[in-house]
Amino acid sequence: MAEGPGPARLTDLLVAPAPAINPEAWRAATAWSAEALSGLAAGGAGGGPRRLTEYQVRRALSSGDPWPETPFAWSARTTRRALGLHAVRLLVAGRVRNPTDGVRAALAEATRGAGDGRRPRCAMDRWLSGLPPAGRAAVGAEAVTWSTRLWCALDWEALDGPVVIGRDHWWDGPRSSLLALRSRAEVRTASAHLVVLSGSRRSSVRSELSVVALVEALRSREGYVPGRIVGWWPDSGHLVRVEVEPAVLSEGVAAVETTLRGRQGRAAA
Amino acid sequence: MPAGRVTPRWHTAGMVVMAPAVAHRGGTESRAGRDDVLALLRNGSGQRPRFDPGLAGGLRAWLEDAACEVVTARGDGAPVLFLGARQLLGEPGNGVGEAFSWPMVTACLVHALFRQIVLTGSVGDPLSDGTGALRVDPGRAGLVRHIEALPAPEREALAGVLAGHVAHLTALTPHFAPGWLPRTDDRVAIPLAGGRVVLHGVFDLLVGAPVAATASQCALGLTSGGPWERAWRVLHYLALLETLRSGTPPFRLALIHSASGRTAVEDVREEHLRAVVAHLVARLSGIAGAHG
Repeated sequence: MAEGPGPARLTDLLVAPAPAINPEAWRAATAWSAEALSGLAAGGAGGGPRRLTEYQVRRALSSGDPWPETPFAWSARTTRRALGLHAVRLLVAGRVRNPTDGVRAALAEATRGAGDGRRPRCAMDRWLSGLPPAGRAAVGAEAVTWSTRLWCALDWEALDGPVVIGRDHWWDGPRSSLLALRSRAEVRTASAHLVVLSGSRRSSVRSELSVVALVEALRSREGYVPGRIVGWWPDSGHLVRVEVEPAVLSEGVAAVETTLRGRQGRAAA
Repeated sequence: MPAGRVTPRWHTAGMVVMAPAVAHRGGTESRAGRDDVLALLRNGSGQRPRFDPGLAGGLRAWLEDAACEVVTARGDGAPVLFLGARQLLGEPGNGVGEAFSWPMVTACLVHALFRQIVLTGSVGDPLSDGTGALRVDPGRAGLVRHIEALPAPEREALAGVLAGHVAHLTALTPHFAPGWLPRTDDRVAIPLAGGRVVLHGVFDLLVGAPVAATASQCALGLTSGGPWERAWRVLHYLALLETLRSGTPPFRLALIHSASGRTAVEDVREEHLRAVVAHLVARLSGIAGAHG
């Protein structure tokens, strides 16, 4: 499952064609998954809509509790991905020449409204607009490091075809609004989804990535097989790949079920 | 083969163990300005050294043996063991009861100001900017409260100390063109023994992009106090971690002592990496022995 370091290998995994899958088996697995998730949504305790992200799935699989003790707060750490992805988008589009300039442009755009009296577009922009220059510099430094690591990890010219950078996908249960799942990937090519991972290497990472495959399968047209899911730890250079097959969808459903059970346990406590 | 060992002992135990002591031998030391530091980093950089592609694998195998000894000694149920420079190389101060010691507070603020200098090239009021930077890290909330609660005379003293550090940093920290890809706080974490032991560290500043087989990055370390020799050993430790992460070490290291304005630059050589590995293996064996 886990593979050693190597930027060239990372690029190769994003461009290599995915293995062929039996269409009938895939359609059956997709239908079963949608049905199973509908059942989980309808039968779950705790009540209320459930919008699960990869963060909650990861926490549930590693600690049993999908919800953190402390509430979310904006910080250099929680803004670095959004700013870093903005920077990488600008780099790939050829609008800036390096990650530092990309992050400067991202910060300028996020805080532009504050200068001319307009309301910030989102909560993150509002938080950034309220920071003193030193705080903004600290946020920028964190984002520069994040984006530089991603920028250096891939041979971007070798990624032929359209590349989508940092667009998260949501799947909403079709039969009720009680369950929605998010698929996060930093780079998407025609044949793969690259997920930047943090924290320690863990045995549950395959299940985490299976949820990405599950969301991609469910939100796509019937019969569409999403490409492989590639997880990458910038801290160590290690890769993990999940080749999408019917069994991956059931693993993703199991991960969602574990997360929902963790939520129920928290609610019961 | 003994339990917990991934390679036969004779494959690694016979490697020449280099003394890890004086770490900056051959380095160029100076009290020069930032342009001189930059010139030393660039000097001959067009001829990047190539390292044996098998080097990283050999070093890793040596460490894996020692890590497996630790895992065997600690038992199957033991949690993941995270080891950084503090645990592996020893670190003065910052012990129990010293959470907000003067050196620790100074080091955190100086580090935050260093990142600001790298990104923007300047600092306004050092104490104000330093605390402003720490505020965007929730993990530093306690430290910020501590600084803000300091009596006025202590705050003034701290501001004066910081001004001295900043003067040295602005004089010595090179202005890297953004095309050099300067990035601060680049974390490295190398799992060993299937992830049961993790060696970790943070580069204060890295420039250049990692390229397979060719050393193409420079690392700049910052120390606001403490022994100069130890700061070099930490840089060599980080160079080893980078070797294990990307396959090649940084080709050159620089160290800035922000309190004194002392600085030095040196090339990374295989013997530096082997010396660090030898030290880590001895340290890991000590940990295994303590649990045995």
